[in-house]
Amino acid sequence: MLNTFATQALIKLELARALRNKKFLFFSVLYPAIIYLIFSSSSGSNEKVSDTGLTVATYLMVSMASFGALTAVLMGNSERIAKERESGWVRQLRLTPLPGRGYVLAKTASAAVVSLPSIIVVFIAAAAIKHVRLDAWQWLALVGVIWAGSLVFAALGVAIGYVASGDAVRPITMIVYFGLSILGGLWMPSTTFPQVLQDIAKWLPTHAYAALGQAIEQSQAPHATDIAILAVYFVLFSGGAAWLYRKDTLKA
Amino acid sequence: MEDMTTTAAPATTTPVVGFDQVTKTYGSVRAVDGLSLRLYPGETVALLGPNGAGKSTTLDLLLGLKNADSGTVNVFGTGPREAIVAGRVGAMLQSGGLMEDVTVAELVKLACSLHPKPYKAAEVMARAGITQIADRKVNKLSGGQAQRVRFALATAGDSDLIILDEPTTGMDVSARQAFWATMREQADQGRTVLFATHYLEEADAIADRVLVLHRGRLLADGTAAEIKAKAGARRVAFDLEGDIDEPALRGLPFLTSIDVSGQTVRIQSADADATVRALYGLGVYPRNLEVAGLGLEQAFVAITEAEEAKQSC
Repeated sequence: MLNTFATQALIKLELARALRNKKFLFFSVLYPAIIYLIFSSSSGSNEKVSDTGLTVATYLMVSMASFGALTAVLMGNSERIAKERESGWVRQLRLTPLPGRGYVLAKTASAAVVSLPSIIVVFIAAAAIKHVRLDAWQWLALVGVIWAGSLVFAALGVAIGYVASGDAVRPITMIVYFGLSILGGLWMPSTTFPQVLQDIAKWLPTHAYAALGQAIEQSQAPHATDIAILAVYFVLFSGGAAWLYRKDTLKA
Repeated sequence: MEDMTTTAAPATTTPVVGFDQVTKTYGSVRAVDGLSLRLYPGETVALLGPNGAGKSTTLDLLLGLKNADSGTVNVFGTGPREAIVAGRVGAMLQSGGLMEDVTVAELVKLACSLHPKPYKAAEVMARAGITQIADRKVNKLSGGQAQRVRFALATAGDSDLIILDEPTTGMDVSARQAFWATMREQADQGRTVLFATHYLEEADAIADRVLVLHRGRLLADGTAAEIKAKAGARRVAFDLEGDIDEPALRGLPFLTSIDVSGQTVRIQSADADATVRALYGLGVYPRNLEVAGLGLEQAFVAITEAEEAKQSC
């Protein structure tokens, strides 16, 4: 009970901090919507993405909402955790009754709270400016799936935060972030890639992540393969994060 | 009635902290080497030692930030982590960072919500002397102010044991005095306080008991006065005329060290009165005789040097 309360107090302060950080807010909340408008404006409103039957505007909406959620959870977690490990704040917290996982939980929870508006802002831009129309259940399911799926990448962010330190954390995060976004087809459909890249893309968590949303847009249930791929990555990332966290605990 | 007021003698009181044959090794370096010690309720204890003596590792082991390779660490009869979870320990580490992008007040409030037996944040800030900087961003603080905030985090609740790792680093003299006054209040409320320091005069002035740590081992454990005595409590200096019979001087009782330069002799003695009496007994006539007390710093250097000499033999 007490520890839940302690974790809540930390989540509250983490959130206040995230909302105060203008640069972070811009990048995670507005940036995906802006990229969405730029990308979708280059194609005609009736243009379809091959193999999906979706318009470019609809297809990109899910990609960019996923991209936005990815930005919020990945960038937020990795850099802050690495920085706070170095500054000794993580050590200071270990002198309190807060359980170790409470810290990771608070980081992930506050990232998830920021990622929600980033998804919604993309949806609003798509509906209001690009006239994307879907059924009510589809909107709700999309928010739910993209939000829940972003937890996979929150775990990845925690893992990077514990494995990298100092000057290395930003480049590593950037490489992972852009690599996963572009190769996974969040920026443009992976069907436009050369065959080799397409074969790689199929197995990336970001590809499966975007595919969940695209299935809903096509009024289908998300494919079991995509859910399975994401589940495997989630186990991998969170297992890695837990392992690195324990290693760091013994070293700190 | 009498039974209720009877208090146990210190030796049988349950120790606040107990180390038993604790060893911690990093690669080939033994940071803590078979360390055994006890802290008792209400004591203010200084942990004294040069850099690399194992002070920080000792505190890390005490706080459960590191696990001992062998031996046991007890805090209030449980493991360190259990004692922290129960809110019995408040600590301020040198290596402990502060959360950035928040105000001092926000951070202190967080520390209060994390503590099982919290005080009010306003009260904690007043006691740590940071009320005036409550609205300042944590990353805009001076070194001394940051130390005071760390102290506030360590005293956010009603803990029974306060651990301070070189708490006055970065403070000027007046800030340091104010800090120790604050800390004394903590001790006066019956808390046990353990602080690591290399400001030896602080250990001398503040601690009831001083633990001298060297190469991960306990070199001395006693009051500051006892430690001075152990190292050779007094310094005796005098001039002699003519040839100086150094071997005879070396035979003086209670002598712990001797230095002859020119006609001047400087010795350290555990009992200056006895040494001086024996000096006259040698049939020499010392001039300009001076007897002075040793500061703890010199006492500490003497103990350390004696230890090192023993090791190199």
